[in-house]
Amino acid sequence: MVEERRILYEHLDVPDINTFDVFRQYDGYTRFEKAIAEYQPEEIAKMVLDSGLKGRGGAGFSTGEKWSFVPRDIEPRYLCCNADESEPGTFSNRYVLEKNPHLLIEGILICCYAMGIETTYVYIRGEFTLGKKMLDAAIKEAYEKGYLGKDVRGTGLNIDIYTHPGAGAYICGEETGLIESLEGKRGQPRNKPPFPAVEGVFRKPTVVQNVETLCNLPFIVGNGVEWYTQMGPTYADTRFDPPKPDANTGTKLYCISGDVNEPGVYELDLGLTCTELIEVAGGLRGEEVKAVIPGGSSAPILTHYELDTRLDFTSLTLAKSMLGSGGIIVMNETRNIVDCLLNIMKFYAHESCGQCTPCRWGTPWVRDIVQRIADGDGRKDTITRPKFGVAENGRWGDTGETEEIYEDLDLLESVANNIANVDTMTWNTICVFGIAVSWPAVSYMRKFRPEFEAAIREGKLVTLPVAEATIPPEENYAYQQRFIPKEFADL
Amino acid sequence: MSDELVQIETPFAFNEENQREFDELIGRYPIKEAAMLPTLHIAQRQAGYITPAVMKYVAEQLDVTVMKVKDVVTFYPMFFEEPVGEYVIRVCHTLPCALRDCKVVLDHLKAKLDTDIASETNLAKGTTADGKFTLMKVECLASCDVAPVIMINDDLYKNLTPEKVDEILDNL
Ligand SMILES: Cc1cc2nc3c(=O)[nH]c(=O)nc-3n(C[C@H](O)[C@H](O)[C@H](O)COP(=O)(O)O)c2cc1C
Ligand code: SF4
Ligand code: FES
Repeated sequence: MVEERRILYEHLDVPDINTFDVFRQYDGYTRFEKAIAEYQPEEIAKMVLDSGLKGRGGAGFSTGEKWSFVPRDIEPRYLCCNADESEPGTFSNRYVLEKNPHLLIEGILICCYAMGIETTYVYIRGEFTLGKKMLDAAIKEAYEKGYLGKDVRGTGLNIDIYTHPGAGAYICGEETGLIESLEGKRGQPRNKPPFPAVEGVFRKPTVVQNVETLCNLPFIVGNGVEWYTQMGPTYADTRFDPPKPDANTGTKLYCISGDVNEPGVYELDLGLTCTELIEVAGGLRGEEVKAVIPGGSSAPILTHYELDTRLDFTSLTLAKSMLGSGGIIVMNETRNIVDCLLNIMKFYAHESCGQCTPCRWGTPWVRDIVQRIADGDGRKDTITRPKFGVAENGRWGDTGETEEIYEDLDLLESVANNIANVDTMTWNTICVFGIAVSWPAVSYMRKFRPEFEAAIREGKLVTLPVAEATIPPEENYAYQQRFIPKEFADL
Repeated sequence: MSDELVQIETPFAFNEENQREFDELIGRYPIKEAAMLPTLHIAQRQAGYITPAVMKYVAEQLDVTVMKVKDVVTFYPMFFEEPVGEYVIRVCHTLPCALRDCKVVLDHLKAKLDTDIASETNLAKGTTADGKFTLMKVECLASCDVAPVIMINDDLYKNLTPEKVDEILDNL
C-alpha cells in the first residue's frame, strides 16, 4: 500500500503550531533565513524553476516559468496569494490557513525575496472566517518578531502581507477575477493577454499563486532541488529534441471526498493511481466504483475503466482530464450520473459571472436540459442518422452505419461545445470557466450515455449497474485524445 | 439612485471601533476603491444588511459613486440588501455534500424552522417569522471531507445528522 508522505502537512496537528514559538521549534522561518543568507534572489527563482514545481491551484502551470515572465524593471510588483478555494471537492488550503498559517507566511516571504516584491495580498474566500482570523493573528506575530514590516531581520527588505476577504463568488478564484475583486470591483475576469505577470493588480506585474504552491517553497529551499525532484514522476516530452523533462515533482495534497470510508486530505507523491488513492482513503464505501472526478468539479469524469490512471498533471492530461485543484470525488454504484451532472450544472449556472454571452446563457441552458432529462421530460424524438465513430481507416469519421439519436443529448453537447469546445480546446469566452462547464457536461454525457438515454427513454432517472452505465473506451469517442500530440501517447 | 431616496433611510456612519478598523484598512491599498469588499463587510456587520444609506456612506468613504458600490453589492452573494435573521444558516448543497445526504439536513431544517429556503433576490422567503433565522443554500464550503456541513453565521458545523442539527439549534 502507498504510504503518505507528509511534508506540507507534517506538523499540521502539532498543538499550537499556529503560534510563532512552536512553529519556530519545528524549523519555522529557518528556510527563509537560509534563502536570504545563502542565495541571491535570482538563484531562488532558478531553484524553483529547476524543482519543476507546478501550480497547485488549478492550471498546473510551472511556477518558475511564470516567475520568469515578470518584468523586473517595473515597480512595484505584487504577490497575490489565492486562498479563494471554492472549487467543489477541494479543501486543502483551509487546513493550512486554520492550523499552520506561519508556513504560508514563510512561503510568501521566500517568494517576495525571490521576486523583489514588497506587498502581498492574501485573497481569502469570505466564508473562511476562522482561517482569516488565524492568518491575521500569525501575520501580527510575524510583524512583532521582525519577519514582516520594514527592514526584515536587518536585511533591508520591506515586506508587508495583508489579508483581503472575498464575498462568496466562485469566479474570484480565477486569477484575473481575483485581481478585479481585489481592486474593489465585480470579480469579472479580464481578457488575456496581458497576463497578470505583466499587468495584474493596480496594473502592475503580479504573481498569483495558490496557497499550496507557496507552501512548497520553504521545503524546496530548505532541502534542495535534488531532494525535491526525487518525489513524483518526471516524464520525457518527446515533442522536443532532445526530449524535455516533463516534471510532476513533489507531493500533492489530495482532497478526497464522496463515497470513500475516510474522506480527507492525504499528502502523497504525485503519480499514484485512482485505485491506490481510494485504498489510502479507507477504501470505497459501497460495492463498486462507478466514477471518479479527478480534479475538482471542473474536471472531466473518469469511469471504472480508467481507475489505473495516475493522478498527476501529465497522465491526467493524456487521459483527457486534468489534475486541477486535486479535489477527487468518488461515486459508487448507487449514484446516478445524470443527477450528479445536474448538481454540478446548477453550481456553474449560479456562478457564471455573466460577462460573456455563451457562458451567461449557455450554462443555464445546459442546466435546464439536464434538469429536463432528470425530471423525465427529456426530448425523446429519435431520428436515424449516419453513425460517426472510428471508421475503417482507424480515424474518426462516418462508420457507414446508422444510429438513433436523442434530441436532448445532441442539444446538450452542442450547447456545451459552443461555450467551449472540448474537442478542439477552443473557447468563446473570456476565461476558462467556459471549459469548466463544458468539460463535465460533455464528458459525463458521452461516457455515461446509456444512463442518459435510459432516463430519456423511460421518462425517469434510471440508475444502471456500473458495467452497463458506461461504454468501453474502444467504442467511445469520449476517451479519444484528439488534441494531444501523438508523441505523448506512449509514455 | 437619487439623493431623495437615500434621505428616507436612517443615515449610516461607522461606530468608533469600526472607524478605527476602516482607517487601518484604507492604508493597505494604493487606491481607496480597493478597500471596497472589506469595508462592505464591516458595514454589513454593523448595520445587519446593506441599505441605500450604507451604500451612500461607503461610496463617500471610498471616493466612488453610489452606483459603483451597488454594482459590487449585487455581484457578491455574501452581501444582503434585505434584512436577515439573527442567525444566517448556510446549507451546502454541492456534489460532495449531496453524496452525503445534505438534503436530509436541509429538509429537516426547513421543517424545524418552518420556513422556505431564501433566494438571493428574496431573503424574506427564508426568514422565520420571529426574524431569528434565515435559511439559505450555498455552494461548496471547502469542507467536503466532513460533509454534510452547514455554517451558522461564522461557525462551521460538520458531519451533520438531523439529531445533531437539533442539538446545535437548541444550544444557540
Ligand atoms: C473558474 C476558475 C476558478 C478558479 N478557482 C481557483 C481557486 O479557488 N483557487 C486557486 O488557487 N486557483 C483557482 N483557479 C486557478 C487560478 O486562475 C490560477 O491559475 C491559480 O491561482 C494560479 O496559482 P498556481 O499557479 O499556484 O496554481 C481558478 C481558475 C478558474 C478558471
Ligand atoms: S467565461 Fe463565464 S465566468 Fe468567465 S468571464 Fe465569461 S461569463 Fe464570466
Ligand atoms: S460540497 Fe459541501 S463542503 Fe464541499
